[in-house]
Amino acid sequence: MLKLRLRRTARANVPRALPVVEGDTLPPDAVAAAAAARFTGAAEQSLELRPDGPRLLLIGAGQPATPLDWERVGGRAVAVAGDAERLALDARGLPPVSAAALAAGAALRAWRFGRKREPVKGLATLDLIVDQPKSVAPFWSRASAAVRGALLARELTAEPANHLTTRDFARRLEALAEHGIAVDILGRKRLARHGLGALLAVGGGSANPPRLAVLRWRGTHALPPVAFVGKGLCFDTGGISIKGAAGMEAMRADMAGAAACAGAMLALALRRSPAPAVAVLALAENSTGEASYRPGDVLRTGSGKTVEVVDTDAEGRLVLADALHYAQRFKPRAIIDLATLTGAIVTALGHHRAGLFGNDAALQAKLAAAGEAVGEPLWPMPIGARHREDLKSDIADLKQCLHGRQPDACHAAAFLREFAGEAPWAHLDIAGVGQRGEAALRGPGMPSGFGARLLDALVEREFEDPEP
Amino acid sequence: MLDIAFVKPALPRHGALVLPVAEDAALAGLAQAIDTATGGAVARALAAAGFKGRKGQSCTIWAPSAEAGGPSKVVAVGLGKAGELTAEGAEAAGGAALPLVQGEREAVVAAEGLAAPLAASFALGLALRSYRFDRYRTTEKEDDKPKLERVEIATDAAPAAKSAWAPMRAIADGVFLSRDLVSEPPNVLHPVEMAERCKALEKLGVTVEIFGPKEMKKLGFGALLGVAQGSAQEPRMVVMQWNGASGGKSKKAAGKPVAFLGKGVTFDTGGISIKPAAGMEDMKWDMAGAGTVIGLMAALAGRKAKVDAVGLVGLVENMPGANAQRPGDVVTTASGQTVEVINTDAEGRLVLADVMHYCQERFAPRFMVDLATLTGAIIIALGHEHAGMFANDDELAHRLAAAGKQVGEAVWRMPLGDAYDKQIKSDIADMKNVGGRPGGSITAAQFLQRFVVKKDPPTPWAHLDIAGTAWSSKDLPTVPKGATAFGVRLLDRLVADHYEE
Repeated sequence: MLKLRLRRTARANVPRALPVVEGDTLPPDAVAAAAAARFTGAAEQSLELRPDGPRLLLIGAGQPATPLDWERVGGRAVAVAGDAERLALDARGLPPVSAAALAAGAALRAWRFGRKREPVKGLATLDLIVDQPKSVAPFWSRASAAVRGALLARELTAEPANHLTTRDFARRLEALAEHGIAVDILGRKRLARHGLGALLAVGGGSANPPRLAVLRWRGTHALPPVAFVGKGLCFDTGGISIKGAAGMEAMRADMAGAAACAGAMLALALRRSPAPAVAVLALAENSTGEASYRPGDVLRTGSGKTVEVVDTDAEGRLVLADALHYAQRFKPRAIIDLATLTGAIVTALGHHRAGLFGNDAALQAKLAAAGEAVGEPLWPMPIGARHREDLKSDIADLKQCLHGRQPDACHAAAFLREFAGEAPWAHLDIAGVGQRGEAALRGPGMPSGFGARLLDALVEREFEDPEP
Repeated sequence: MLDIAFVKPALPRHGALVLPVAEDAALAGLAQAIDTATGGAVARALAAAGFKGRKGQSCTIWAPSAEAGGPSKVVAVGLGKAGELTAEGAEAAGGAALPLVQGEREAVVAAEGLAAPLAASFALGLALRSYRFDRYRTTEKEDDKPKLERVEIATDAAPAAKSAWAPMRAIADGVFLSRDLVSEPPNVLHPVEMAERCKALEKLGVTVEIFGPKEMKKLGFGALLGVAQGSAQEPRMVVMQWNGASGGKSKKAAGKPVAFLGKGVTFDTGGISIKPAAGMEDMKWDMAGAGTVIGLMAALAGRKAKVDAVGLVGLVENMPGANAQRPGDVVTTASGQTVEVINTDAEGRLVLADVMHYCQERFAPRFMVDLATLTGAIIIALGHEHAGMFANDDELAHRLAAAGKQVGEAVWRMPLGDAYDKQIKSDIADMKNVGGRPGGSITAAQFLQRFVVKKDPPTPWAHLDIAGTAWSSKDLPTVPKGATAFGVRLLDRLVADHYEE
């Protein structure tokens, strides 16, 4: 993440971005140029002025009403600033929460996945110019926790599959221990002992063995935890039901659900959330190998239920079935899984909303509200009686999916529900929002980190009361 | 349609006797009478079969009377818990009974245990399930044909049940009309023929106007005519008006009508963007939206609904003829907005665009609901249990969802938004007619929303994408395999619940 300095004044040689709310008065030296360029402060507008000194960027803010609106303005400021390594963002006159949101937007937009091509160009240091650094600091501390969570999710998701194998992923999760997160990595032997046959089968075709990562944040409340369950397919070839070659490289991001859960855990830890939380992440590589699982195989899942495999490329629901089952041991207050699960959800909702399924209307409403607040919008989708009926198998307790290569978001959700247990459960199909076009405002054309901030916001809004 | 009568309870001397039985309920009325008459054979058979009256349970007992002169079969169907029986539950039980008795010419339903409206609902279920489209079967053996002609609903409240049945009968007629239209093959039912069939509604008091290509050209229907130009069959627009609120008398007395619009592509080859061959025969039902609107108008008029309603259908055939429109063509819609045709197989929205505009200009309706088998994407999104619903008005959306729940025609709301609207920006025209695979049903709805021309406040509008629900590949309780007429009952209920005087 970029370095942030809270300052009262901008340094003379640093370009300064000034958000302009539509209709507000402009600095006297900008009035003539703004009139000439028809700059009114409307959202999406920007105007660069160079009155001899360092660059001054006027950023149209429209009529911001929420912290999210200010985030977008901060993101635009960074986009307009281009390759500047240091930028002053002028938040004077703004309430501290808006100033912090402005900086959060800038930090999200400034992120670059650069490890593979040093040196990284672009914004490294942000001077946030505020009236009272002390009053803004706590708000920034809160906002930056969520930003760091989201950026961790992006880092992991962007990593190529040869650099982020299941072992690498587990190692990077273990590093979260420094923030007070307890990390337990289950290898093959322990997976076998727990009977997690679905996860073992999906990971069986790869030289990189499957793992189940369990992250715990104890918090301070003596309550059962909220559970996050993530699909972490480090690479998904489709297995024996192999995918078409075109676009397969994108499958390195098929672990975005697990990455988002890890990011949310980091955010909770960084801001010392009082709410206990646990993340159960199923890490595997779905590869074609001599020990790959096959269409027609019947797997025994951790829950004891048997599953007939129809399509080895519908592997996400299999690993989630075992992860959802394993999460039951923590007796969670609520259980939310995130997965880049189906192409069908992209056909259904495109790239602007993730699919929201579940068995508890209240939990779904809370998730949807949290998503709107952080700009990670969801849309409720149905699980019909017929979707469940379609999963009847002639040989096992249920079929993994329908015959014919039509991965279906509703069928997948109906499948997962069978493993969700008693607690309120929701499932977010994030296959369409991993690299959202509209996120360009707050992050370049790379992984969005979708879900990390949403889960963090959900916990803050709904699960931090000491009384359940 | 089955001949349905409501009669005083008496044991039939032939045919089938149907016993609707609530869960764990003792046999009563005719059920008890037949049990007594057969020396307890009925109760013994039900017990032996494990029949408890649960939902979805049924049990058939052949020739339970030892002597001649009794019913040839007794069919028990489960109603579920007595206190929880809804109209939909009674319909489903009636529908489930139908296949079990259709080998008999006559059946008597022992409905004494059902309140009058539920007895009528049971009859409605029987009637709806009895639909069959056999116009083109010429060699079917007599034995293979269903024989059921008459059903007597035996109830102590025959007059009340009969008056509850009267509007249901009209609705069932509308459903059957819609199913007939949707089932007809495309060489028979082209736009001209379909428009002709709308004239049958005049008998019910519906005003029917038919517009041909000349009239539509005058109205500036560039989008609809562009779709039609590749076919030898002329397009039509049909405007149906039912003035039930104003008594069908003075135009002046009429308030703003409610409006229903339907996509009627009598066959959709895809045009130049031609579809793959596999399954193309299904495209005969690409006029199901229009079929629903026509059936709905028949239902409203048939039951003399106290509402002013208009139904508009745009009827075309989408063919790759010598004059067919091409990908890349730009057409001007009746609203003046231009459309770049990227894919000639996204033709439904082009047809609806012109019809929607005309509807608003002429009728300034209280609300508009359009129905269309619009996108394959909605099937991938929702499957076959819910139609996709898009709306610019929360109240209308809630009312539609509630009406759908009551009649077993469920809708699921899908999102609209600027981010999706951007996907249909064109470089050369006001919009293009497709927005890519992601969110394919949503971008189709965004396209239609651009033809809700009145703003501030906009005309309340909802779009039902019925591509997944217009046709059923398997038998459902009240819907035999084939054309479902999805939407007729839903919209009839919407009107009945909220828009009648």
